[in-house]
Amino acid sequence: MELYVAALGFGLISVSVIAIAAVGFTMQFGITNMINLAYGEVMIVCAYVAFYVNRAGVNVWAAMIAAALAGAVLSFLLNRFLYAPFQRKGTNLIGMVIISLAASLILANILLPIVGYDTSSYQVDQGPLLRWNGLVLTTAQIAIIVVAVLLMLAIHGLLRYTRLGKAMRATAANPILARNCGIPTQRVIDMVWLLTGALCGVAGVVAGMNSENFAVASGAAYLITIIAAAVLGGAGQPYGAMIGALIIGIVTELSAAAIAPEYKEVVAFTILVLVMVLRPQGLLAKRGALAAAG
Amino acid sequence: MDKQSPPADRPAPILRAEGITSGYGGVPVVRGVSISMGKGEIVAVIGPNGAGKSTLLKTLVGILRSSSGRILLGADDVTGHPPEDLAKRGVGYVPQVQDIFEPLSVRENLEMGGYLLKDSAIEGRIKEVCDVFPLLAPMMRRRADKLSGGERKMLAIGRVLMLDPRVLILDEPTANLAPILADAVLSEQVRRLADAGKAVLLVEQRARAAMQIADWTVVLVSGQTRLEGRPKDLLERSDFEALFLGAGPPVQED
Ligand SMILES: Nc1ncnc2c1ncn2[C@@H]1O[C@H](COP(=O)(O)OP(=O)(O)O)[C@@H](O)[C@H]1O
Ligand SMILES: [Mg+2]
Repeated sequence: MELYVAALGFGLISVSVIAIAAVGFTMQFGITNMINLAYGEVMIVCAYVAFYVNRAGVNVWAAMIAAALAGAVLSFLLNRFLYAPFQRKGTNLIGMVIISLAASLILANILLPIVGYDTSSYQVDQGPLLRWNGLVLTTAQIAIIVVAVLLMLAIHGLLRYTRLGKAMRATAANPILARNCGIPTQRVIDMVWLLTGALCGVAGVVAGMNSENFAVASGAAYLITIIAAAVLGGAGQPYGAMIGALIIGIVTELSAAAIAPEYKEVVAFTILVLVMVLRPQGLLAKRGALAAAG
Repeated sequence: MDKQSPPADRPAPILRAEGITSGYGGVPVVRGVSISMGKGEIVAVIGPNGAGKSTLLKTLVGILRSSSGRILLGADDVTGHPPEDLAKRGVGYVPQVQDIFEPLSVRENLEMGGYLLKDSAIEGRIKEVCDVFPLLAPMMRRRADKLSGGERKMLAIGRVLMLDPRVLILDEPTANLAPILADAVLSEQVRRLADAGKAVLLVEQRARAAMQIADWTVVLVSGQTRLEGRPKDLLERSDFEALFLGAGPPVQED
């Protein structure tokens, strides 16, 4: 039993990391119709931005802000100068996926000569251990969970209660009608890339903190889990991505405890495949992207 | 009658399109169409399916680009202006399909309709739109895709009224409505909006119902104006049905 409670603790941190990453990824698809396979690599670029800031003696939590800014700017530029021009030319979804894959490879190959092949890790003060009913987490781990919860609440507040967030949902649902309403959809989409880029940057850092070390190659592994969570919840649905992250994160860690750590990904992806067979549109998918939950 | 100078008893045009040619990249769908509407006037565009009615409307509101001709709004040339700009300038458009934001609530749809308004003005404007469509008032929190056909169309028109447009462009607002409801939408809502001073461009499948409320009718066949005039005059023509169906030869203007 102890084992499972401990696994649940690990699971909660995984959920937090996956949720931050997957919500950004799924919003890019839901609102701008872009399956951005460079997302994992942008996470890594941001993780390294934070790494150098951290190595210069700055606290990793402050470095996270630098990573968020880097992610926002990099994602914005990626869309402005690469994705948007091709989308305007009418490149289809598959073409855009391949372009994003190319962007991923380019980023990785720019990064490699700078950071090398070795793994890196942050200087993190883990803080005192906190125990609760057999659950043991460090203060830093709790902080990751708190950051995730705050970000999810912020996304919820944005989408439900602000003019910009509602315009994002309107643009996702019906971009032409949005323009007929006078909504400057170009600017709304720019804001989406800035915002999801910031999420991507934070995700890169918490993923690096959670996995002890990271390297340029980690981006691909992150991406698979992110896509799994996003698709599980219903592609393009932020609330779906949160639920997908919850399921994938908990199940992988519990199955690691129950079966063997080597199988944790297998179990998670078996669940994904089952959901795809039984409910191909994902758990939360409703007609139209970015539906409000509940 | 001469296309260039409509009868003197028509109001001065607010929106005027001259020689519009547009389509989807291939052979033009709409060819050399001129149309205008003035304050308080309902102009009905009728014609068979596939005639290019929706394409003409999409061009007027900036979704499609006209490859020739020009579009004037008042004294301003707005040819090639994007839809956002036309919305800002008082052109409201209700598309034939995909006319609402389905995953958003009724209230959110209206808020988006009023996107260009100040935050403080939106609440009051929603109340005013609910005065026009009282049925909407109790369903503010409902998801828009849960509405019935009639409720949905009211929301779509209510959404466009949020900005109180000078020009209202409606693409088959009564499609998918029960006949009684369709007549009510036309003779009550649309006529009332025109009487309130809006210039209305109405595309309708129900030609006769549209002509009953219209001040001017344009018959579009194969992307060209086949015939236009006062509805009463058109209905008196013995060859009207044939022209409407596109069977007859092009009419020589007299
Ligand atoms: N999005 C589109 N892409 C290409 N062709 C289209 C598109 N929409 C309509 N068309 C074509 O344009 C012609 C006119 O269509 P439309 O303007 O919708 O006619 P109407 O509204 O009079 O029924 C039709 O032949 C139709 O197939
Ligand atoms: Mg049509």
